[in-house]
Amino acid sequence: MMAIALVIGFLLALAAGSLPFGPLYAIIHPDFVALLLLYWAISSSSELSFTVVWLIGLLQDTVLGDVLGGRAVAAVIMIYALYNGLGRVRRLSFWEQLFFIFLLLLGQRLITWFWQAWSGPITWHFSLLIAPLIGALLWPLFTFVLDHLRLLLKGQVS
Amino acid sequence: MPTLFFPRRYPPLLRVAVFVVLSVLITAYSQKNPRLQGWAGTLSYPVLWINTQIVHIWQDTENYLQDRNALLREDEKLHRELQDLQPRLLEGEILRNENRQLLALLDSIPRPPGRVKVAEVISQNLSPGSQLVTVNIGSQAGVFVGQPVLADGGVAGQVISVSAMSSQVALLSDLDSSVPAQIAGTNIPLLVNGKGNIHQLIVPFQARNTALKQGDRLVTSGLGGRYPPGLNIGTISAVIHNGDEPFAQILVRPAVRLGQLNTVLVLWKETADPQERKP
Repeated sequence: MMAIALVIGFLLALAAGSLPFGPLYAIIHPDFVALLLLYWAISSSSELSFTVVWLIGLLQDTVLGDVLGGRAVAAVIMIYALYNGLGRVRRLSFWEQLFFIFLLLLGQRLITWFWQAWSGPITWHFSLLIAPLIGALLWPLFTFVLDHLRLLLKGQVS
Repeated sequence: MPTLFFPRRYPPLLRVAVFVVLSVLITAYSQKNPRLQGWAGTLSYPVLWINTQIVHIWQDTENYLQDRNALLREDEKLHRELQDLQPRLLEGEILRNENRQLLALLDSIPRPPGRVKVAEVISQNLSPGSQLVTVNIGSQAGVFVGQPVLADGGVAGQVISVSAMSSQVALLSDLDSSVPAQIAGTNIPLLVNGKGNIHQLIVPFQARNTALKQGDRLVTSGLGGRYPPGLNIGTISAVIHNGDEPFAQILVRPAVRLGQLNTVLVLWKETADPQERKP
């Protein structure tokens, strides 16, 4: 049941990241796939498989039509950084934890940008920083909603 | 979670390094084989299907929320526009007939730019790196790579990858986009390139004393054979001279509102070759 919910969740996150709602939406929408990956990695009792993370990133590249491999490698490095810092971050304050999420999202965005710059023409724009910022600000709401959904699903299963 | 291909007995850093190498390989391979992007596009059908449903729900909701008064106002506005356009339509018809007669005298009857098929935009990726949209028709409808895509106002872009039921379109604003152009009514060849900004295109490599000026309308020149000649590209919005730079910076406002595309027209040029004519 949880596996099906995860698949549906990632499909919805991939869709939300590519909706044709104009240039403003393109700038401000957070990377829902990255947020869901972070939530999954933090809330899961066991360590996430890097292969699964890489494949999800590759699927995101495919949906967006970007160069294959950019978001895949960024997702793997983001989850690796999360596991490295998680032990220390859990002892920090709410805002410091939020800042950690922002750094992870920003790092993932910048790695994707550098990957695209390496493989073809690309320009820099400050708007690249907006999506990670909004993603971090939405993080508490995002976790609140997903925590409740998870409890709801567990209740149905048991 | 299952470990799948990489057992966890290897150190995490080594596993990350393996995925970095894998990503380098897949990036390099997909750059050399653009078809891979089309095949990979097949995997995104479930996501594109969800996008289509959300877009339809959004449009239905928007229509439902429009109150009666707004609809009446729109109806009145459209009637007014229609009345304004009637004389111009008549004038256009007269000019077209006259043009045909003149061209017939020169033995060169103009051919229509081609046949079009309406496609719905179901996904977008508007970032400084890419200016792409995905449309809901693909190779099953006869779409092919390099095909021109039009929208309300003029040229929107061209198809860059095709899967069975969807196609990716690089907009004019994409950094890789370059369209052979000319000022309407002249034969001076120009290029209009994308600069990663949905509202702005550029004309590169124009000398500081260029004859181009603000307000000039740019149309496709037809050079290269990809776009039919005479299609609207945009209007020059600024000619900037920066210090000692050898070239003038010429900015173009696209004729099509590239950020607001809901439906586009995929164009099949009329050719003598029946294979190409077939959709």
